[in-house]
Amino acid sequence: MKNSTLVFRSLAIVVIILGSLWLITDAYQDAGYNYQSDNIITENQDSVKEKTIPPKPNIDFTITGKWKVAYNDESFKGVIVYEIKKKGNSFHANIFEYQDEEGNTQKAEDDKVLTIKSFDGIKGKGMYMIVFEEDEYRVKCNIDVLDENTFKLSYDYYGYSDTEIWKRL
Amino acid sequence: MIEILSEQLEWLDVYYWFYIFNDLSLFYIFIPFFVLELIRYAYLKKLNKNLVLDSVANIFTLGLYLLIEFALGLLAITKLYYLIYQNFSLPHLEINWITIIACVILADFAYYWEHRMMHRIGIGWASHTVHHSSPHYNMSVAFRFGPLDGILPILFSSLLVMLGFTPFLVILSVLFVLTFQTLLHTEIIGKITKPLEYIFNTPSHHRAHHGSNRQYWDKNYGGIFIIWDRILGTFEPEKEKVVYGISEPLNSINPIVVFFHGISRFYKKLKGIKGIQNKLLAFVKPPDWLPK
Repeated sequence: MKNSTLVFRSLAIVVIILGSLWLITDAYQDAGYNYQSDNIITENQDSVKEKTIPPKPNIDFTITGKWKVAYNDESFKGVIVYEIKKKGNSFHANIFEYQDEEGNTQKAEDDKVLTIKSFDGIKGKGMYMIVFEEDEYRVKCNIDVLDENTFKLSYDYYGYSDTEIWKRL
Repeated sequence: MIEILSEQLEWLDVYYWFYIFNDLSLFYIFIPFFVLELIRYAYLKKLNKNLVLDSVANIFTLGLYLLIEFALGLLAITKLYYLIYQNFSLPHLEINWITIIACVILADFAYYWEHRMMHRIGIGWASHTVHHSSPHYNMSVAFRFGPLDGILPILFSSLLVMLGFTPFLVILSVLFVLTFQTLLHTEIIGKITKPLEYIFNTPSHHRAHHGSNRQYWDKNYGGIFIIWDRILGTFEPEKEKVVYGISEPLNSINPIVVFFHGISRFYKKLKGIKGIQNKLLAFVKPPDWLPK
């Protein structure tokens, strides 16, 4: 087999595998977008169906904006303000500022700590960055909206679990 | 389905899954299988001193290989991978089932090329000839390595890091391919059903790869998939009875001789070649190359 044929076929193999990888990833993002709209229940559905389907998503709930979380850990006592922005089909939360117990504030370096990959207005799933003994871990987390200005973020990472209450600023 | 495949995974989970196949398979596949092979040899009255000592030599080369891997590999290779990952890589890919599957397939394709290189360039064959020099074929032969068998392939696996795969995933995928490859070193399993033989590398295909019969030379380089060989013109089915070993037999069970015989022969060849340029060319030219 000629060297040029070998090169061409090898490149084609790599392009096909990588191309498939990106295509499937893109398809997922599209599916994720549709998933949100599919979950919105129409008024025409009968009552029997309504009993078996999940609660109607709160489509008016806006998760973007600034949120504060109070901490009382050994590592940090005070409040951290986060800012959630929408990027593509997901939401990203960055640390906006720190407030210690005495009310002193310090701007953060805009570190991304949370990615919400799916959110229907009531529940969501994502990846949350936690710090344990100076090491950072990305762990799966769940979002549960409690009321229009509060949601609960919870995670369980190999037995290390915690719940945070995020309040709208 | 796509959502499940695309869901970001936790590193620890990914590591455990690979650990079960890559590391623990030594205990639940390789050792039991090797014992089964010894029983088979005994039943066929082929179990002799040479075979046992050859197997011991194989394990000894594994020890030397791991020594080099740990000394150079774990320190330098991971650093090289991370250097590439941080500075010369396409956008980084997150860890999910799709990227894991893609990385394993690409690691297998990289294995095809690195394996081909080990056969087709002088310095590569000087090391890899160790693996092929046994006149026997069993699980222990899978662990018969040459001094540079873990070093030269980095040329290809580092390309995966350039494509944006996390270095740790690349290392685990490469080990996955090697572990699968190890399973092929047996005479117990004959030919498998045709669709599988068409797509996957099987013990039959790999027996042919280990053959010293002329038609089997430099064939069937694949790791998990044999389709690479079919696409790139190096496939040869197992037809004639395979005679294991190399064209210039080693005839030694001394582990040190086994481990270094390729390098030693290459050094002798270099001494016989005149001119610096020709000596350098001998490293990258085919093993049977000689200057005009």
